[in-house]
Amino acid sequence: MTLLDWTIAPFNDYAFMRRALAGTSAAALGAAPLGVFLVLRRMSLMGDAMSHAILPGVAAGFLLSGLSLWAMLLGGLLTGLLVALLAGVVARLTPLREDASFAAFYLISLGLGVLLVSVRGSSVDLLHVLFGTVLGLDDTALLLVTSVASVTLLVMAALYRLLVAECLDADFLRACGGRGSWAHMTFLVLVVVNLVAGFQVLGTLMVVGMMMLPAAAARFWQPTVAGQIALSALLGVGASIAGLLISYHYNLPASPAIILTAGVAYLFSVTCGPQGGLMHGLRPRTFSLKEE
Amino acid sequence: MGRDGVGYGLVEHGMSGVAIPRYEMGTEVEKEFSADPVMTLQDVAFGWRGRAAVWAVSGRFERGSMTAIAGPNGAGKSTLIKGMVGLLRPLAGSLQTGSGERRRVAWLPQAADLDRSFPITVLDMVATGAWDRVGAWRRFRREETQRVWHVLEAVGLADQAGRMVGALSGGQMQRALFARLMLQDAQVLLLDEPFAAVDSHTSDALMQLLCGWHQEGRTVVAVLHDLSMVREYFAQTLLLAGRQIAWGPTAEALKAGNLAMARGALQESL
Amino acid sequence: MHNDFAAHVRRRVLMMLTIGVASVCAPIVAHGDEPLRVVATFSILGDMVREIGGDDVMVTTLVGPDGDAHTYEPTPAAARQLKAADVLVKNGLDFETWLPRLAKATDFSGSTVVATAGIVPRKMSESASAERHHADAAQSHTADQKQIKGSAEAGAHDEDHDHGDHGHDHDGSGAHTHEGHHHHGDQDPHAWQSLQNGAIYARNIAAGLATADPAHAAAYRQRAHAYIVRIEALDAQIRKTFADIPAERRRVVSSHDAFGYFGNAYGVRFIPVAGLSTDAEPSAADMARIIEQVKREHVPAVFVENISSPALIQQIARETGARVGGTLYSDALAPSGQPAATYLGMFEWNARQLFEALQPQ
Repeated sequence: MTLLDWTIAPFNDYAFMRRALAGTSAAALGAAPLGVFLVLRRMSLMGDAMSHAILPGVAAGFLLSGLSLWAMLLGGLLTGLLVALLAGVVARLTPLREDASFAAFYLISLGLGVLLVSVRGSSVDLLHVLFGTVLGLDDTALLLVTSVASVTLLVMAALYRLLVAECLDADFLRACGGRGSWAHMTFLVLVVVNLVAGFQVLGTLMVVGMMMLPAAAARFWQPTVAGQIALSALLGVGASIAGLLISYHYNLPASPAIILTAGVAYLFSVTCGPQGGLMHGLRPRTFSLKEE
Repeated sequence: MGRDGVGYGLVEHGMSGVAIPRYEMGTEVEKEFSADPVMTLQDVAFGWRGRAAVWAVSGRFERGSMTAIAGPNGAGKSTLIKGMVGLLRPLAGSLQTGSGERRRVAWLPQAADLDRSFPITVLDMVATGAWDRVGAWRRFRREETQRVWHVLEAVGLADQAGRMVGALSGGQMQRALFARLMLQDAQVLLLDEPFAAVDSHTSDALMQLLCGWHQEGRTVVAVLHDLSMVREYFAQTLLLAGRQIAWGPTAEALKAGNLAMARGALQESL
Repeated sequence: MHNDFAAHVRRRVLMMLTIGVASVCAPIVAHGDEPLRVVATFSILGDMVREIGGDDVMVTTLVGPDGDAHTYEPTPAAARQLKAADVLVKNGLDFETWLPRLAKATDFSGSTVVATAGIVPRKMSESASAERHHADAAQSHTADQKQIKGSAEAGAHDEDHDHGDHGHDHDGSGAHTHEGHHHHGDQDPHAWQSLQNGAIYARNIAAGLATADPAHAAAYRQRAHAYIVRIEALDAQIRKTFADIPAERRRVVSSHDAFGYFGNAYGVRFIPVAGLSTDAEPSAADMARIIEQVKREHVPAVFVENISSPALIQQIARETGARVGGTLYSDALAPSGQPAATYLGMFEWNARQLFEALQPQ
């Protein structure tokens, strides 16, 4: 089998492969800018916490209206935003910092989500919420994930300067009259929306991997924010292609294959990436005697 | 300094209705004091989570003055500056600014406040000083970009423009912050420890810049640790130690008795 | 003195008589009007027991309608019900893998009826046992939270199975762990999918109830007989119906290999979709294989089941042009009020769905 056959043929022959690629690529494109900013703002674990926070909302939506996509989306959105809001409030008003308060809320929401799932008995459909049905994306699911990705890219483009300024020097931005906190809130909303929209594609547990792994890997290759976003999108799409091909040729489940491919890319970047990768740290430095 | 070619248009009207003539960077113009001060503080207190870090501060910053804020560590100097910038609400008392002053105040924060690891070039970081004019969405026009290069040259960082902010040394970072401040082109300059961890060569050069701006008629307020520098360049001094100890001409404010009181006062309040 | 002695004897006799009568009557009073407490493991058995037992039994079902007996986790309530039961009716053939642990934990002391006693079991097909592997490899994250650790039984089964041509990794760590597993050994436990077997089930249940409750034995046998008559009538009707469909069209894809007995009995070939059953995460290779198979063999219909995900089945249908059939009930009845809420009702429903889907277009 030629290389071309190996890579192109599966997508050529099967519609479900093409749809899966479309869905995961859209998720990767939407997640790229979000992931990069999460990494830069040191909010990576928060992204993970948010994906757990979505679970009780989705479970509640499922309980109330069965497999209705909109009910689950709405539920997930509500609980995700609620947890984001509550954690922020607790951090602001009490001595507990944001990381601990997030951890507390996401554990609560995870427990609540599991409880709600158990009430409905063993529900395979809800398990597919956790792991996604990337090989069975219907038109509604594809439409949802691509429109969310498009909206995310547009909004992030608009907010780009604000977010950069806020990450760099939040107080300075405030002193200049910039609306840093609004940008931050919008950003969090986008994160939740992408996590919720992505659950059909990769499942709530792994969609955050598509957000974080390419972004974390890109950091080791690109020195600028814009560069990191572009590379992160590329890595995400690449991982989707590779993961689907691996699933096809080696008979492995699809969404873990995609996420693990992204994980391998990350590990490679940590070791070999020029911007702070381990290998580059080991090389002997040449000292410059030039005055500052 | 002293370049011509790129001028910053600035026209402003003070409260008295007197039009203050244009000030151009690099040209010396006579100052004209207008009647109202830039900022008036009345028994104001600032702090965090309800606890005051600085209190009982009363006085005025006259337009075109050059005031140093001095005091021992933990005296609340940074807090006061942040309050003057508008980042903190007064816990007590009041702070009034002259008309239109709010947006014409530029702040140089402590270098530690900035995220040095953020992947941004020196050029872009300095360019954020144009926020007032460019905001979150307007495009950077050619003249604005030229201004950015101009300020970089003024502080001697034009060759570092493409490097990442994290690669700069301490002295270079301060210069970059000065460049940003310069780009803001404000009438009132509030500087928080502008010469901390900077070698004397750089601090001299930056001090010259500051004096130049003062000579253009801008009001300068700077938090400083080095009292010799205060005595040499600053006509007015506000001495703080939690509460206001003295505010007036430098020689007056920094007499031995006041300094002793400042040291003692801080120990009391702890 | 004579009077005293006589009075004493009279009292003693009276006392003994009372005790004697009481001890004879008590059991009758105790068991006489109280229904027999029966626990059935899942809804199909529960329905049968209700039919045969009538008012003389009180049935509790552990895995209710639409429930999944493969991934069922016994709750404390279930343990209480089992402990209080007189009779336990189970399927056997390793269908209820969680039952031995539950029975031991509750120290169940009643009698057990194995519904499949006397049935010739069908062997699971090679692709079906591989499907079990697939189903095993991906377990729920949520089930993690409350799962009972796999027993030694599970471990033994792991070793016995060969992995065939599937390069599956059993990921035993992280989010996926083996819980109460899907392994049924090599035997297909879904024996109730053939009505002939259903009749055997009914006989076994009747016998079991009669032994536990001899007082109503006659009633049980009578009801069982009536029930079996209905079963056999339906059986004949279905055979005839399917015989009318041309042989090459009697092929369907279903997401769960539960219809082996049905297929054998009525001449319909069920092509199981490996890896698309409960809990499993399929690979792209699986999907491709099924699509190829459906296209190659011109399978007319693809069926969804009431305990698995429809999204993948629908994708297969979209891509191959096959018809998506209605829901087929395999391991559980529908909730009450729906046609498939009883065993016979379920059979009729399944047969009708299949028949309609397999009609030449």
